[in-house]
Amino acid sequence: MDKQHQLLLWLSIALFSLGLLGVVIRRNALVMLMCMELMLNGVNLSLVTFMNQNGQAAGGVLVFLVFVVATAEIAIAIPIVLLLVKQKRSLDVDAYSDLKG
Amino acid sequence: MGFLGQHGLLMIALLPLIGFLINGTLSTAFGGNRSSKSMVTAVACAFPLLAFLLTVRIFFSLQAQNYDAIVEHAYQWAQIDTSSFNIDFYFDRLTAIMTLIVTGVGSAIHIYSTGYMKDDKSYGRFMAYLNLFLFFMLLLVLGRSMLVLFVGWEGVGLASYLLIGFWFEDRANAAAGKKAFVTNRIGDAGFLLGMFLLHKTLGTLDMDVINAAFNSATLPAVSASLVGILLFIGATGKSAQIPLYVWLPDAMAGPTPVSALIHAATMVTAGVYLTARLSGIYMHAPEASHVIAVIGVATAFFAATIALVQTDIKKVLAYSTVSQLGFMFLALGVGAYGVAIFHVVTHAFFKACLFLGAGSVIHSLSGEQDIRKMGALRKKIPITFFTFAVATIAIAGIPPLAGFWSKDEILWYAYASPNGGSPILWGVAALTALMTAFYMFRLLWLVFFGKSRVDHEVEHHIHESPASMTGVLIVLAVLSAVGGALQLGHYLEPQLPLPLVPESLEHLELTLKIVSIVLAVGGTLLAIFVFGGPPSRAESLAKTFAAPRRLLSGKYFVDELYNNLLAKPLAWISEHIFLGLGDRRLIDGTLNGIGSFGQFASGVLGKIQNGSLHFYALFVMVGVVSALLWSWSRA
Amino acid sequence: MLVLREPMRVALALITTMMSLGAIYGFMGVHFIAAFQVLIYVGAVMVFMVFVIMLLEVREAPGNKRYSNLLVPGGVIFAMMLGVFGISVWRAMGHTSSGAPVTNDAFGLTEFSTLFLRDYWLQFELTTVLLIAAIVAALAVIKVHQRVANEAVRSNRSTNG
Repeated sequence: MDKQHQLLLWLSIALFSLGLLGVVIRRNALVMLMCMELMLNGVNLSLVTFMNQNGQAAGGVLVFLVFVVATAEIAIAIPIVLLLVKQKRSLDVDAYSDLKG
Repeated sequence: MGFLGQHGLLMIALLPLIGFLINGTLSTAFGGNRSSKSMVTAVACAFPLLAFLLTVRIFFSLQAQNYDAIVEHAYQWAQIDTSSFNIDFYFDRLTAIMTLIVTGVGSAIHIYSTGYMKDDKSYGRFMAYLNLFLFFMLLLVLGRSMLVLFVGWEGVGLASYLLIGFWFEDRANAAAGKKAFVTNRIGDAGFLLGMFLLHKTLGTLDMDVINAAFNSATLPAVSASLVGILLFIGATGKSAQIPLYVWLPDAMAGPTPVSALIHAATMVTAGVYLTARLSGIYMHAPEASHVIAVIGVATAFFAATIALVQTDIKKVLAYSTVSQLGFMFLALGVGAYGVAIFHVVTHAFFKACLFLGAGSVIHSLSGEQDIRKMGALRKKIPITFFTFAVATIAIAGIPPLAGFWSKDEILWYAYASPNGGSPILWGVAALTALMTAFYMFRLLWLVFFGKSRVDHEVEHHIHESPASMTGVLIVLAVLSAVGGALQLGHYLEPQLPLPLVPESLEHLELTLKIVSIVLAVGGTLLAIFVFGGPPSRAESLAKTFAAPRRLLSGKYFVDELYNNLLAKPLAWISEHIFLGLGDRRLIDGTLNGIGSFGQFASGVLGKIQNGSLHFYALFVMVGVVSALLWSWSRA
Repeated sequence: MLVLREPMRVALALITTMMSLGAIYGFMGVHFIAAFQVLIYVGAVMVFMVFVIMLLEVREAPGNKRYSNLLVPGGVIFAMMLGVFGISVWRAMGHTSSGAPVTNDAFGLTEFSTLFLRDYWLQFELTTVLLIAAIVAALAVIKVHQRVANEAVRSNRSTNG
C-alpha cells in the first residue's frame, strides 16, 4: 500500500491505543468516556482508509453505523454517569467498586 | 392322577407357600377380631395338612411302583454354556420319610400354635412365618439338585431368623435371631465351596447323579474327603455341631412352637439329611467320615455336660438337642446312615413332645421358665405331665420306647462298624447316654415332683392347656412310645446300606444292648436319688463340685471366647479401619476435598473481580495483545 | 488529552481531534462522511459532553488525583500493543491494493444511499431499532428519576411537617 494509507493506518493505531490507554489511566469518569470516543474515531479512520484503499463502498456503510452506535452510546452513558454521581457525589470511578469479589 | 402325577411333589412344596402368601398379606388387613383369627387359623392349618395328605398319597404310589424314585421336572432355572440348572424334585425312601416327618410333625405343631399363640398380637404373622418355613423345608428335602436344596437351606435359615426374633421389640430376641443367621452363613461358606467343587468336577449338582458317580468304578477326579469336609462345615452351621452350635441355645428366645418345629424336629436335621443323601461321597471318604464321627461324639458329650446344670427349662432341652444331633452325626460318621435317619425320626417325635410340653408348662405358669421356680405340677397339669414323662423315658433310652431302638443301634455301630467304629467312640457315647438319662430325669423331677417352689401369684392361675395343645401332645407321646417299631434303619437298607459288622464282634451285640439298658436305667435312678429326696442332697452335691459347676453353668465360656477372639477384633477393624480410615478419611475426605478445593479455587479466581474499571480495561488491552499474538502463532 | 488535568480542556482537545479527522476525510474524498463526522460527533456528541462537564464541574474536588493506580502496567501493555499493531502493519506493507482507483463519484452520497437502502437494508433497520431503544431507555430513566424525587420530597415533608 502506498505511503498515504500507511501513515493513516499508523494514525488510527495511535488513536485507538491512546484511547484504550486513557481508559486505563484516567480517573475521571467523563474523561474515560471521551477516551472511548477517541477509540471509536480511530476505528472509523481505519475503516475509511481501507475503504479508500480497496475501493469498496461497504466501508462507508459501516462507518455510518459506527456513528449511530457511538451516538446512542453517549446518549445513554452520560445520564448513567449523571445518576451515579448523584448517588455517590464523586466522579472518581474507583469509588464505584461495590461489585467486587 | 394327571396333574398330581406330573406335579404332585411341586404341589406339596407349594401348598404351604400359598398359605404363607394368604396369611402374610391379608391377616393384618382383617383386624384382630375373633372371626379373622379363625380365618387365619383355618388357612394356616389347612395347607400343611393338605400337604401331609398329598405326601401320604404319593408315598403309597411310590410303594406301588416298588420304590423306583419319582423324578419331577418343574422349571429350568438357567442354562449357562453346557450346564443346565433345573428345579427338579426327587422322591425315594429317604425323601419320603423326611417329607412325612416335616409335613406330619409340622402340621401337628401348627395346630399346637393355634392354641399357644392365639392371644399374641401378631398371630397372623406367626402363622404366616410357620408356613413359609414349611415351604422352604419341603424344598430342601424334595430337591433333586443341590441348588434347590441350598435354596431351601437358606430359606429355612431366613424363616428361623424371622421366628427367633419374632418378639423383636426386645432387643435380645433380635440379637439371637441375628446370631443364628450369621452363624449359619459362616457354615454356608463351606457348603458353597463344596458345591463349587462338585459342579466343577462332575458338571452337575443332581444328588442322585453325584452318588452314582462316586459309587461307579471310576472315581471322580476330586478328593471325596475334601468335598465331604466342606459340606460338613455347612452341616455344622445348620445342625449345631462344634464349633458353630452357639446359636441354638440363644434361639430359645423365640416362641416355644418355633423351638419345637425348627430347632428340634426339622431344620436342625437338615445337615443330617444332607450327609445321608450324599452317602455316596461319604462312603468313599474315610477321613471326612472319621472327622464327622469325632466331632459328633464330642459335641454330644460336650452339650450333655452343659445340660446337667442348666436352670431354664428350654435351655436344658436345647442342649439336649445339640447332644442328640451329635449322636446322629456319630452314626453318619461310622457309616450307619439309615440309623442316623431313624434317630432323626424318633428324636423328632420325643423332642417335639418335650418342647411342646415345656411350652404347655410355661403357658400354664404364665411365662415362668426357670425350673428353680417350678415343682409339684404333677397333679395340677396331669396331661402335660403324662406326655412329658413318656417323652422323657423315650429320650433316656429305656425300652420298649422309641428312643431305645435308635440310640442302641447308634451305640452298636459306634463300637462295631468297620468304617471307624471303635471302643473309644462307644465309650464316650455311652457316657453321654448316661448323662442324657440323668439330666432329663432331673428336669422331670424338678418340674413336676417335689415341693412347689412356684411364685404365689402364679400359683393361682395354673391351668391345663386347651385341647389344641394337649391333643397334639398326646399324639406325639404315642408316637414316641411306639415309634421304635418303624425300624427305619432296616427299612432304608436297600438305599443306604448298613455297615457290615465283622464276624468277630457279632456276639457282642446282645451284651452292648444290655449295657445300654443298664446305663439308661442307672442314669434315671441316679437322678431320682439326687433330686427326689430332700433338697439338701442336691445342694451338697452342687457344693462338692462347685468349680466344675461354674464352668458348666458358663457353658465353657465359649460365647465369651468367640466374642473376644472374633467379634471384638472384627468390630474394631470395622470401626477404625473401614469406618475411620476408609469411609471417613478416604471417601468423605475425597469428596469434601474436592468441594473445598473448588471453594479455594473460586476464592483465588474471585480476586480478579475487584470492581475496578481500570483493572478490567487493562485486561481488555492484555486480551487484544494476546489475541494478536495467538493469531500470529497460528498463522 | 491523556495528560491534561481539567476535563474541560480534555474535551476541547477531543473536539480539535475530531475536526482534524473530518478534514482528513475530506482530503480522502469522502465528503459526506466528513460532514457526518463534524455534524454528529462534534455537533452532537461533544456538545453534550461539554454540557455535562460544565454541569458536574462544581462537584469536582480540587485535589483530585489525575491518574489511576494502573499507570505503570497500563503503560507497559500500551507499549506492547503498539508493538503488536505496528508489526501487523509492517507485515502488511508489501501488499498492494486490490481495488480500482478511486473516483470522486464512487463515494458520492448517491452511491452511499443506494448501497444503504438496497444491499444493507437490514443494518439500516437495526440502527433504527437501536435508536428507538436508546430513546425508550432515556425516557425510562427520566420517569424513574421523577418518581424517586417525588417520594424523597414527600418523605421530607412528612418528617418535617
